[in-house]
Amino acid sequence: MPNWPAETKYISRSTARVDAPEKVTGKARYSSDIQANGWLYGMILRSKWPAAKIVSVNLDRARQISGIKAAVLARECPFNIRYYGEEIAAVAGSTKQSCLDALRAIEVQAEVRHEFVVNETEARKADSPPVWENSPNAPANPRAHENGSVDTAFPECAAVSEGFYSTPVQIHNPMETAGNTVSWTDDGLTEWSSTQGISSVRDGLAGALKLEHSKVRVITEYMGGGFGAKFGAGVEGVLAAKLSKEAKAPVRLMLTRFDQALAVGNRPSSFQKIKIGALADGTLHAFEAENYGTAGIGAGGDSGGGGGGADIPMPYIYKVPNTRVKQSAVAVNAGAARAFRAPGHPPASFGMESAMDDLAAKLGIDPLELRLKNDPNEIRQREYKLGAEKFGWKEKYHKPGSSKGVVKTGIGCAGAAWPAGGGSRDTHGDAQINPDGSIEIRLGVQDIGTGTRTVIAVVAAEILGLKPEQITVRVGDTNFPPGPGSGGSTTCPSVSPTVFDICTKALQQLQTQSGIADARGANWFAACKKLGVNPLVVRGQWQQGLSADHACGVQFAEVEVDTETGLVTVKKVLAVHDCGLIINKITLESQINGGIIMGMGYALYEERVMDDLSGVVLNPNFETYKLPGIADVPEIEIILINMPERGVIGIGEPATVPTAGAIANAVFNAIGARVGSLPITPAKILAALGKVPPFVTA
Amino acid sequence: MKKTEPENPGAFSRRTFFKNMGTVAATAATAQVTSVAAELEKVNAEKVIGPNAVPVTLKVNGEKLKLLLEPRVTLLDALRNYSSLTGAKEGCDRATCGACTVLLGDTPIYSCQKLAIEAQGHEITTVEGLAKNEKLSKVQQAFLDKDALQCGYCTPGFVMSVTALLKKNPNLNADDVKHACAGNTCRCGAHPRILQAALKAAGVETASKTEVIDYA
Amino acid sequence: MKAFEYATAHSTDSARQLVADKGAYLAGGNDLLGLLKDYLVSANILVNIKSLPGLDKIEPGKNSWTIGSLVTVAQIEDDAHIKKVFPGLHEAASEVASQQIRNVATVGGNLAQHSRCWYFRHRDTVCLKKDGDLCYARNGENRYHSLFTGNSCISPVVSSLATIFASFDATAIVLRDGKETRMNMAELYHRAWENPLAHNSLTNGDLILRVEIPTSRPRSAYLQASDKHMFDWALVSCAAAAEVVDGKLKSPRVALGSISPVPHQVEAANQFLDGKVLDEATATQAADLILKDAKPLEHNAYKVPLAHALIRRTLLKLKGDA
Repeated sequence: MPNWPAETKYISRSTARVDAPEKVTGKARYSSDIQANGWLYGMILRSKWPAAKIVSVNLDRARQISGIKAAVLARECPFNIRYYGEEIAAVAGSTKQSCLDALRAIEVQAEVRHEFVVNETEARKADSPPVWENSPNAPANPRAHENGSVDTAFPECAAVSEGFYSTPVQIHNPMETAGNTVSWTDDGLTEWSSTQGISSVRDGLAGALKLEHSKVRVITEYMGGGFGAKFGAGVEGVLAAKLSKEAKAPVRLMLTRFDQALAVGNRPSSFQKIKIGALADGTLHAFEAENYGTAGIGAGGDSGGGGGGADIPMPYIYKVPNTRVKQSAVAVNAGAARAFRAPGHPPASFGMESAMDDLAAKLGIDPLELRLKNDPNEIRQREYKLGAEKFGWKEKYHKPGSSKGVVKTGIGCAGAAWPAGGGSRDTHGDAQINPDGSIEIRLGVQDIGTGTRTVIAVVAAEILGLKPEQITVRVGDTNFPPGPGSGGSTTCPSVSPTVFDICTKALQQLQTQSGIADARGANWFAACKKLGVNPLVVRGQWQQGLSADHACGVQFAEVEVDTETGLVTVKKVLAVHDCGLIINKITLESQINGGIIMGMGYALYEERVMDDLSGVVLNPNFETYKLPGIADVPEIEIILINMPERGVIGIGEPATVPTAGAIANAVFNAIGARVGSLPITPAKILAALGKVPPFVTA
Repeated sequence: MKKTEPENPGAFSRRTFFKNMGTVAATAATAQVTSVAAELEKVNAEKVIGPNAVPVTLKVNGEKLKLLLEPRVTLLDALRNYSSLTGAKEGCDRATCGACTVLLGDTPIYSCQKLAIEAQGHEITTVEGLAKNEKLSKVQQAFLDKDALQCGYCTPGFVMSVTALLKKNPNLNADDVKHACAGNTCRCGAHPRILQAALKAAGVETASKTEVIDYA
Repeated sequence: MKAFEYATAHSTDSARQLVADKGAYLAGGNDLLGLLKDYLVSANILVNIKSLPGLDKIEPGKNSWTIGSLVTVAQIEDDAHIKKVFPGLHEAASEVASQQIRNVATVGGNLAQHSRCWYFRHRDTVCLKKDGDLCYARNGENRYHSLFTGNSCISPVVSSLATIFASFDATAIVLRDGKETRMNMAELYHRAWENPLAHNSLTNGDLILRVEIPTSRPRSAYLQASDKHMFDWALVSCAAAAEVVDGKLKSPRVALGSISPVPHQVEAANQFLDGKVLDEATATQAADLILKDAKPLEHNAYKVPLAHALIRRTLLKLKGDA
């Protein structure tokens, strides 16, 4: 079994992100920057109706717009539209302006349906318009999953808390929207894709266009964020390819920010009714929950169908001997959900951890004590204790609502578990060592901003006795040995063992070929010179024993709530996370910062707002879909729990799971009243404090 | 902020007209004066350009870009789609995210909400124009040192905003940075480090508060 | 955007001629270009007014200052004298949008900007302001909308400068059909109160030239509350200005923004405050008077206590560092 070295020069330390120079100088070319020879601009026409039958689409006038070189339909007519923003057609032209004019010249004959539903609570009702014909929007009697006997257990409890907790639909909104630049060659197709999964894009394109896989090349050298939304070719990828074929020119088709909120994924909402009870000594004894949420028209890539994908793990990280959980997904006329950073976990953590603090209040005990009493995980127990000490929990804790003054302070905490994060055995790569000592390592994986390139450089440098800056890292090309998509927090535990294997093998071969017993460090150039003329190319793959899965984490939050205005300021977040062996500390910290800030957005600002009457998304922009800004971000402190013996584990997702719960609990601790609905807005705080006059209909 | 008169191809100023008239206007008899006045009125009518493409000259990073653009083309569009300067990014095209931030003179603006024809006559600086002879600017180096980026898509915009701030206020503090960068959005969550990088560029060293504790 | 012609005007006459009845004035462009991109307004020609002479100065004066309509919000924010003489104006300017927007946004544009109601701004909901049949917000998503309305449209005025100018009793000088017309803030937005199609009282071709601010109220303050700490529209904004003589208020004016199509002022509240000592009790009573006739909708009732708090705090800021 291979082992990570005990003493390291680079692993577990901090190496500057190796692609930072390209990014800070604007040299990095993202899919939206590719300027293939003779490239055209592409644009999609989307449905302005939430429900309609598209009878016919006339592209003639659009084709006549000066500069337009191609126009295609998204589907064969007649076809059904099931949400505002669903694709109808696309055009490609020599300028953005020609495309804008062409979209307005497309004539659509539609039978508009006035029966649609965008609100999940309404959609559950028996008389609600069905999103899919002959299919109820939600199951009438969702199955209950039971353990033990809740009905006899609740009466045994010393304290029972009942609450209602809800989370909104959250939009990924990466800074670079979804999209591709596509170019047909004599041999096939090259697609520069803003994706987390080059292989999934290739697979999707090859299938849709009936091409052999070997004729489709996907390149993602740089991409501007994904957070789970960017897998597969997407409707937009296939449309770009079709436009490019018709126009006989490359096409760059990126979604607009408006489109991004409509059709390329989101995190399902949750409406959680939780009843939780504990014995007198604080042991959790009974848990009953009903949850529903919407995954739009369904969960999945292009269109889901049915109502899958809104379930969340309950009772999340806690073991309760008596449980009953009923969950269902509700279909509405809105874009389908897609995996979004720790799917299911942020809403689950928020609901459960809010319920825990409410229960603690009923019991009259410190909510941290309730967690220490009940959290079954040893690592998290340790994390809570370490974190509480650093955070000053005991000194800062006071009964909910008891801090003095108009601006009240409060603290809260929450825990996370991320079961995935292990490595994929399907990770391959190769190293090319040149006689001049330069080395290039190639993996068919993606760097989605997490620092994958740097991880590769660090591991390679460590094994080969070189400096990270001596390693040329190439990723993001289906021409390279294949690797997994970047999801599930699996990339670091996938590539690290793979690079370990590649470099270990490469070193051995170099030593054999050169006759130099130890070719690392000072002997490197001499050994390489002995290669003669030909480079040495060595292939490797993921090996068992160097990575693991399952990461935990706990976070503590301190907030200030202005009880007259309802405004919330998060003063501080302390995150305590484990991820096995730390490969590169500085990029790891950035991941944790990012997870916390995303969790804070979920807690306080983000919400996709639908309009019931028109069925449109009301905030498909950054103006009213609010992301945390630099002035909102709290002081962040991190404790990394070093567990090198476990090997490499991913961090991207666990870092965002407990933040909203911690903040919500801190708000509760500050004002003594529960806001159970995210985002926690001033309106909701003032309502919880009883300061909002009741609404009286005229 | 000093406003430079934008160069407007075709606009004919009174001064230019008189210069060209030379002595003719000065020696005209009454009848001639009347006809000169009529001529004056005609040329003083402002020149209307478009809607088709017109020649537009943009001075970017010290070099002249000679383009042919419709008046409705934004500066961002001109940079990204009519030249190879893709450093400025399109994040929203609605002046809400700052990924398109460039400098007009020393002033940071959203290039997505500025017509290219109106950017004429200004010294435009994009992120590609900061490094000198392959050497990163102080701000760029600070971003690298402090890992003030992740996916990097918002980075050019933030770098421009911080560069402008540092020039305007070399003794910037954290509040100044927040005020200057509130108009830049980052989804990856690089904000804490962007703040550190800005301070570092101003000579103020800060450290991330991270502790590593061995579990065993 | 649809294609348009473009011209730079060098005189207000030619600007008016060029705009005719289908064109639009282009100053900073923050609002106009966004409206054009979403096809919310049409313009066959954009007339650049940034070269019009004499409209880009901040001119101090003994009894009133004059701020040209082409002065940018950043210029106001950076002006040390304005900060001393009109501190509320400085505060309001510093909170407008973001640095990049403030750098190009003009006083005239800020006052003339169109509604930010998300139904108005959405390309596919044809609301009253777009000559549709219905105010979607009334029974729909109205968390950001008005507490006071004069017609079926419930979209509020969001110009922060309008709010602070209202507290100064400032006057906008508008060029209309070749003549200079004086409008105080109530008059500048009156049409929006009456007419669902209107964003303000400006009609086609009107051009704001400058704003005159009397110096009679040396104490002023501005506060706004937003979901986010920065670069977020105000949920409610409040401006107050007055003279303070022997600890008592003289000629006080309090205005609220983002809760009515016009900057909201209640004369009875201003009169009540006149001559009073400024303290929690008087501030509270004033707030009660200002909000007395608020008619909350289903989702915006929170604005009442929020506005109440802002009014008290803004007024108490007038006490200064005494």
